[in-house]
Amino acid sequence: MAVGLRHFTARAGNGSGEPILDTDNGEELVHVQPSVSVAVGNRAPESPGTLYITTRQVIWLSELDREKGYAVDFLSLSLHAVSRDPEAYPSPCIYTQIETEADEVEDESEDSDSECSEVLDLSKIREMRFIPSDANQLDTLFQVFCECAELNPEPIEEGEEEGHNWIFSADQLEDEAGAGDDVEWHFSQNPTNTIGHSNGHHDLASSVLELQINDQRFEDAEEMEHDSDTGHHHQSQQ
Amino acid sequence: MQLFFSYFKDLVGREVTVELKNDLAIRGTLHSVDQYLNIKLENTRVVDQDKYPHMLSVRNCFIRGSVVRYVQLPPEGVDIELLHDATRREARGG
Repeated sequence: MAVGLRHFTARAGNGSGEPILDTDNGEELVHVQPSVSVAVGNRAPESPGTLYITTRQVIWLSELDREKGYAVDFLSLSLHAVSRDPEAYPSPCIYTQIETEADEVEDESEDSDSECSEVLDLSKIREMRFIPSDANQLDTLFQVFCECAELNPEPIEEGEEEGHNWIFSADQLEDEAGAGDDVEWHFSQNPTNTIGHSNGHHDLASSVLELQINDQRFEDAEEMEHDSDTGHHHQSQQ
Repeated sequence: MQLFFSYFKDLVGREVTVELKNDLAIRGTLHSVDQYLNIKLENTRVVDQDKYPHMLSVRNCFIRGSVVRYVQLPPEGVDIELLHDATRREARGG
């Protein structure tokens, strides 16, 4: 789903002008901020360019190198914030975190490797900073980022609705009264959903159950139950 | 979703800890929340500062709803009876 950071070179006016947007599908330019440097991952800031914030993505185009530009969809921007403390970063900036595909597949290597290598793999970049020459613009930029992020909710995945209906059906909750928090556990105990029961291989069935006990989802459920028991925290899962 | 939205709206101004799916946990005052559960925090601080030193200075931030794993609430902000009622209503499709 998350495509992360990518190169962007589609410029209007013979390659020197504004970025070419997907206006046919409703993409609009919301804010233009000239004189902005960009720092990708842990790399040094790159020469000033212009920041274009659209209803769909954030685009930075270099002023000096017409072939150089970056873009990231709001769908891939996990977090953005104003960073002003010189100890955290030398220049006041908009700090962003980017969701990458590697995040979703449990990455094995640290991103520092890819950031130091000769060829920059943008799809693995998890952080980016936008440094306006005029730090007074930070609050405005932050606000524009917020407004545009809100225009880009997560697309609804197919089949999600059905899934919720059977997990949270009122009948199920009432039948299993007393252990209502432990939804995932019901799922794995439900014979109609457990591989192995139907053909009578009980060993297989129990090993499937064990697998699901180690499932991360189960740990989460256990935490929730524990926390509500102690009453110190109450965690809500999305 | 709607349930969480109404619930979180009542927590605006309270101190919460937002845990992201990338394990980053940020504590701060809940400034606002929208229907997609995007969360704005103020006076933020990172819970695990050794691991995320560069997030130290960030005072306010916007977190995309889809990357939030948990929101830890202040104990006094949890009305269990209210939540039970609301979840039952939601479960019945009301």
